[in-house]
Order: sequence, then structure tokens, then C-alpha cells
Amino acid sequence: MATPANVAPESLIEDYRHGFHDSEDAYAFKSAKGLTREIVQRISSMKNEPDWMTAFRLKAYELFRAKPMPDWADTALLDEIDFDDIHYFVKASEQQSQNWDDVPEDIKRTFDRLGIPEAERKFLSGVSAQYESEVVYHSVREDLAKDGVIFCDMDTALREHPEIVKKYFATIIPPGDNKFAALNSSVWSGGSFVYVPPGVEVKTPLQAYFRINTENMGQFERTLIIADVGAKVHYIEGCTAPQFSTASLHSAVVELIAMEGASIRYTTIQNWYRNIFNLVTKRAVAYKNATVEWVDGNIGSRLTMKYPAIYLMGEGARGEILSMAFAGEGQHQDAGAKMIHAAPNTTSVVTNKSVSAHGGKTTYRGLVEIFPGAVGAKTRVRCDALIMDDKSSSDTKPTMKINEQRATVEHEASVSKIGEEQLFYAMSRGLSEADATGMIVNGFFDFFVKELPMEYAVELNRLIKMEMEGAVG
Amino acid sequence: MNSSEAVAKVGDILPETTRKVEINGIPVLLCNVAGSIYAIEDVCTHDGGELDQGELEGERIMCPRHGAYFDVKTGAALTLPAILPVRTFPVRVEGDDVYLETPQG
Repeated sequence: MATPANVAPESLIEDYRHGFHDSEDAYAFKSAKGLTREIVQRISSMKNEPDWMTAFRLKAYELFRAKPMPDWADTALLDEIDFDDIHYFVKASEQQSQNWDDVPEDIKRTFDRLGIPEAERKFLSGVSAQYESEVVYHSVREDLAKDGVIFCDMDTALREHPEIVKKYFATIIPPGDNKFAALNSSVWSGGSFVYVPPGVEVKTPLQAYFRINTENMGQFERTLIIADVGAKVHYIEGCTAPQFSTASLHSAVVELIAMEGASIRYTTIQNWYRNIFNLVTKRAVAYKNATVEWVDGNIGSRLTMKYPAIYLMGEGARGEILSMAFAGEGQHQDAGAKMIHAAPNTTSVVTNKSVSAHGGKTTYRGLVEIFPGAVGAKTRVRCDALIMDDKSSSDTKPTMKINEQRATVEHEASVSKIGEEQLFYAMSRGLSEADATGMIVNGFFDFFVKELPMEYAVELNRLIKMEMEGAVG
Repeated sequence: MNSSEAVAKVGDILPETTRKVEINGIPVLLCNVAGSIYAIEDVCTHDGGELDQGELEGERIMCPRHGAYFDVKTGAALTLPAILPVRTFPVRVEGDDVYLETPQG
């Protein structure tokens, strides 16, 4: 039986509480609910990690215990998280053992309407642990290896490239940064590791799907991308289809390092199922004349808190953050951007657009900081919110700390409701109200969509239209 | 000309621990790293947190607020979110006394 699209499937949540289709597979391992020092130790020993990583995890565990929940955010929603009712580690073989029949009907319907290929559907819903187009990408991986590019999952990187991992791991986001970074640091598993050697330009975007590993869809992913001097890379993660997960709390940490003259673009589109708390820490550094770009799309989830940051540390560094958020019924997209100008002649652009509909809520929370001595720094922030109906809302909370007089700071923000006249005009041309609304919202997000690879752009446009109909899983 | 002032007893700062003192209105943190005493300003350069509330791990100290690490010998910020170094102050040990060179302002 199909689950009504706009009703939280209680039975699904209930299933999750009971460990969602526990497999009795002798080779699988699922930690008991709740987090203890012993579980953290066990995760590390199961992965055969070096002592320094075990010590790092245990230290992070203490920090997680000690740190308070953020009191500045949506505390009512955050209070719904029951840390003792979560499995913090599920071995990959367990994740594979789910059954396609157990994936909610509304998600299957969305796959149909988005035109997601069969193999990808199973991967996205956690039924298949591996995206089966792996063969297609085999030659791509060989080319990467020839250039000395390392692209693997984080666990493999720690085993095979311990010296690079140890040098950079957690230098951008230390475990004590915030409660959720501490949680991730203590129980992380999976995520991507990318190292691009000096002067190498990776011409094809790297997609998380390229990885052979089974831990692509980790609950506590840890990603580290390093572009060495003059290197260039574009990394893409996520997809437009709703990601069904048996875990209600996802907390990733993503660290990017762009050395002198290097360039990193990180594109994510996340469309989480509506029971999920997605609390992510993303931060990048850009050294002299380096460029970092975050392209970040957020759809779905119960609560998303995500503020990609760029620290412009060297003269001439450039940062850009492009983000879009869509909040539907019962959802809060609390997203934003942080841009820190710590060197002269650094430039940045932040563009954020959000839509709230069917009672959803969006918040833009941003920071621009200009350090003393960052002479000639230039930044432009633009955030626009579109509210679709009387039940929906939007907040804009920008912070500016400007400590250098010889800098240029522009900030522009708008909050608007969908225009009756625009709708009337479109409908007078023969469009239905749903089509007209979809067209207007697609136009509002156009700045973002045009930055995406073609297949993502097409899917996202379809998805937005479906969101407007309130028909997305 | 700078002058020195006795601010603590060596025995008050056990190895791998810290002790907070104040000199000329500046909060200073004395850190005992394997028997050697180092002095840094007790203020995180990220958002002003008190480093004495953090933990000394070998030669580095962690700010309890956002987890930034500093090198207590050089003052360098070792991890984000801190970028700028913390101030360091010359330390002299004579007998059982720890002397700090009086910082100006």
C-alpha cells in the first residue's frame, strides 16, 4: 500500500526504532543503541585502525559528551533527537541486507517520476551497496591513478595513505568544533578521500559513485579533499532522488584544502527523507591565489543545519558559496554560509536562495568576517527567500564582522511571496496553477541549476516541480 | 625597559598542567610541558574563550569552546577555527620562582 506522500510514515519510524529489518547475518555487526566508550573502541578495533586514530576517536567521544547542544538553532526540533536511541555503527554488510520491498512506496514512486535507473534506485535506497555502473567508470579510475590522484573512501585512505591522512585529518574541523563534529569524529565511517598532486587537473568531475567501497552512504561520513599546489578538482556528491535511510541522524564532516593556486569545487545535492536530521559541518581553506567553491543544494530532511565555510588564508584567494534550500511540510532548512577573509585582496561571493512551501521553514544564517589587514578584500552576499503560502515562513540572520576599513562588503537580501500577478499571467497563457508555480520556482533556482552537470539539472528541475505539488517522498 | 616579576612557584605547576596568572591586567597561562614552563595569553584568538579551561596535550592546548589547538611554545594556531597565533611571553625560572617578563598592555 502506498504511503500518503505528505504524511509521516509512523510505521517506518517505528521500524527504525526497532532496528529496521535486523539481519541475523553472522558476518554483520550492528552496535547496540546509544554511544559508549566501548562502542567507540570497538569501531576502531574492527577497522584495525592505528593507535592515533583510536585515541582521536576516544578524545572526540569525551568532547561529544561534554559539549552542549547548540542553543541558537531550532532547539524544539533538536530536542527530538534521542542520542540513546541510535545505532552508531552498522557494518556495511548489514546495510546491504535490506529488502527492496521494504522501501516506502512514496520513494519508489519518486524514483519512477524522476526516471532514476534501476541500479541507482537500489543503491539510493540502501538495498544495493554498490552502484552498478562501476564498470563504466573503471577507465576513469585508471586515468586518475596514472596522474597520481588518490580517490577512495576514508577508511581505505587511512589504511593505505596514513601519512597524508594523519597530516591533514581534523586540521580544518577539529573534533571540539561543535557537538556534532565531535560525534562524527568519534564514530565516523566511510566518506571520500581525494588527493590531487601538484599541477594535476582532474578533468572529469569525481563522483562519490565512482568508489568501489560499500560504505558510500555512511551515516557519519568523513570527507577530506586536498588539492596540492596548482591542482584542480571538481567533486560531486549526492543526488536529487530522495535518500532513504534507516538512520534518523546523519552528521557528516567535510574538510577541503586548496593549496597555493589550487582549485576545488564541491557540489552536493541532498534530498533526505523527511524523518532525517542532517547536521553537517563543512569547512574549506584556500591558500594564496586558490579557489574554493561550494555548490550546495538542500531538499527534504526534518531539520538540516549546514553552513559551508571558506577560510581565505592567502593573498588573492577566492571563495564562492552557491546554495539553495527547499523546505516542505514539517521541515526546517537552516542553511547558510561562512566566509572568512584573513588575507589581503581576497574575494568572495555568497548566493543563497530558499523556498518554503506547505508549512515549511527556511533560515539563512550567514557570517562574513574580514580580518584586520585583509586590505582590498571584497565580498558580496545575496540571499533571497520565496514564501509560497501563509503557513510557510523564512528567517534571515546574517552576521558581519568587518575589522578592516579598506575592504568592500555588499549585502543584499529579499523575502518575497509568490506573485499573484506572475501566476495570473502564466495561467492566462494556458498553464495550470501547479505548472505555473513550478515554472516560477524553477526560475528562482535557475542560478543554481545552471551550475550543475546536465543530468543533475534535469532531475532537479523535475524534483522541484514535484515538491511544489507536495508529492515527493 | 621591561622588567620581570615572579608570578608563581615551579611546584605549583605540575608537569602536563597549566596555571593561570595575571600580570599588568593580562591573563597569562603558564603551561608545564615535560618540565619546561611556557607562557601564553589566556585568550583564544578565535572568539575570546579562556584557554585555561581547555586541555594541555603535550605541546598543544585546545580551546574548550570550538576545539582550536595552539602550540604553547610558539603560540601558533594549529587548527581552525583559530587563524591568528596567541601571544607568548618569555619565562625565566630562578630557584623555585617562575618569572614573567612584564608585558606592556
